[in-house]
Amino acid sequence: MRGAVAAQPRGNHRRGLSIQLAVNIAVLASIYALIGCGYVLIYRTSRVLNLAHGELMMVAAYLLLATASLFSGHPLAAFAASALLGLVVGAAVYLVLMRKMTGERVLAAVLATVALGILLRGIVVLVWSAQQQYPGQALGWSNPALALPGGARISAAAAALVLTTAAAYAGLFAFLRYTRWGIRMRAAGQNPLLAAQRGIRLHGVYALAWGLSTFTGGLAGMLIALDAGLEQTMVVIGLKAFPAALVGGLDSLVGAIAGALIVAAAEVLLIHYVNPLLADVVPFLVLIAMLLARPWGLFGTREELDRV
Amino acid sequence: MTTGAPLLALEQVEVTYHRVITAVQGVTLKVARGQIVALLGTNGAGKTTTLRAISGFLGLDDARVTEGAVAYRGERIENRPPHEITARGIVLVPERDKVFPNLSVAENLVANVPRGAPRADLAYELFPKLAELRGREAGYLSGGERQMLALGAAIACGPELLLVDELSLGLAPVVVQDLAKRLQEIRDRLGITILLVEQNAPVALGIADWGYVMENGRVVLDGDAARLGAHQDIREFYLGQSSGERRSYREVKQYRRSRRWYG
Repeated sequence: MRGAVAAQPRGNHRRGLSIQLAVNIAVLASIYALIGCGYVLIYRTSRVLNLAHGELMMVAAYLLLATASLFSGHPLAAFAASALLGLVVGAAVYLVLMRKMTGERVLAAVLATVALGILLRGIVVLVWSAQQQYPGQALGWSNPALALPGGARISAAAAALVLTTAAAYAGLFAFLRYTRWGIRMRAAGQNPLLAAQRGIRLHGVYALAWGLSTFTGGLAGMLIALDAGLEQTMVVIGLKAFPAALVGGLDSLVGAIAGALIVAAAEVLLIHYVNPLLADVVPFLVLIAMLLARPWGLFGTREELDRV
Repeated sequence: MTTGAPLLALEQVEVTYHRVITAVQGVTLKVARGQIVALLGTNGAGKTTTLRAISGFLGLDDARVTEGAVAYRGERIENRPPHEITARGIVLVPERDKVFPNLSVAENLVANVPRGAPRADLAYELFPKLAELRGREAGYLSGGERQMLALGAAIACGPELLLVDELSLGLAPVVVQDLAKRLQEIRDRLGITILLVEQNAPVALGIADWGYVMENGRVVLDGDAARLGAHQDIREFYLGQSSGERRSYREVKQYRRSRRWYG
């Protein structure tokens, strides 16, 4: 995101400025939507709020450093390998840790994800140190700034983020609607008991949800790292995407897009017109406003609301 | 096992909830291959608990089979996880929440993991109405259509033994009659064995070969369905009739209550 903000033209005329603001909103909304769909996937299949999503996304981004040295000279291969590793890490987290929480109270599972997040942060510092890293350099990729019509600019990584988000959502919608496993995932989310009666392996479905969630989160994490470097503060971006998912309604993918747009627009506009220091607060202000007015979110299921 | 090995055999089964509450005790029942067996009883008699003991759903309510054995094709299956029991060929049509409400009819039929080839066509063949409703969300179906979908989806799983919990609950008599006929068709055409739990004794005994009656967690009576239908107690308790003249529901209830108090 910092890359996109840095690309903002200085002293341009009003129209150019508003186009640049729109571009910034689009990029930030893409970030939130791509991260937010991870919250939605896990919540809607297993009713668990994964508060370690930010950390898992960060781990996937750090894995890019590892694959970058492994596939030196092939940035795309390194990127794909790291994304797939994210998928494996997510599924493994479910199978090793969260599987034992199935059938426990939802609050216990949520607390387990908090503990997991703290653990992952510690592991990342131990393995990769707390210094800022630049996976772009490791991959030998310079992240050029692209000029858009109207004088706006966007970094290549930010543009890739917008496109990846669109592709990820199209893929997820198609997966959930047209594939057997996607339909099973929706079925398990609606009624796990009945799903088990129909022979669906709940652990398999949940592991898949965790895998996909970390995969999409990892894509976001890697592209953000390519744009703006990589350090522990990435967790905050993951946490800021949570209001976006909740504003839309936690069990709705369409809602996650809408929520991401609302939160991103509020954030970009307040940063520009009021005070840049508000950046980290805005999503949570929107969240509080939403919880007061319509706690189940814009597109969420009203009767399924379970306040934890 | 006098009549050859039955498909399903419960032997002195006891189920305990939360380690202390005994819900059913000493339940012994047999379901022979190709039969329709009815399990009758009033509310709280232990019918659904018995079905759950067979289909592996006790664990979720912190209940267990603590005594006895559930054998399917001669293999012990008590306290096994539900998906494993489905994979062995036992499929349950539950009493409530029997379809996925936000999935379309067609999606409900393909969501399952069938044994062998997918058999969604079979569901449409047995219930042609489902084919017309293919694209409709299951939450918008009527009670009868929902029951058809639940039965169709269960059949699409490719079961050998179908467990049906309260086929008639909340449905109009005409619909119930039609569904009962379909159950017979499922048995006759597909050779699927059926264990039917019912409060509606006339419907159940009308299509069953054999019947069991449960009361207070025990099997108190069993026999040929036709003979059970003619049994004095059954006529009084479940058919609401006594020696020719019809009794009102209130009288029967009163009678049952006095029987409970005075043994």
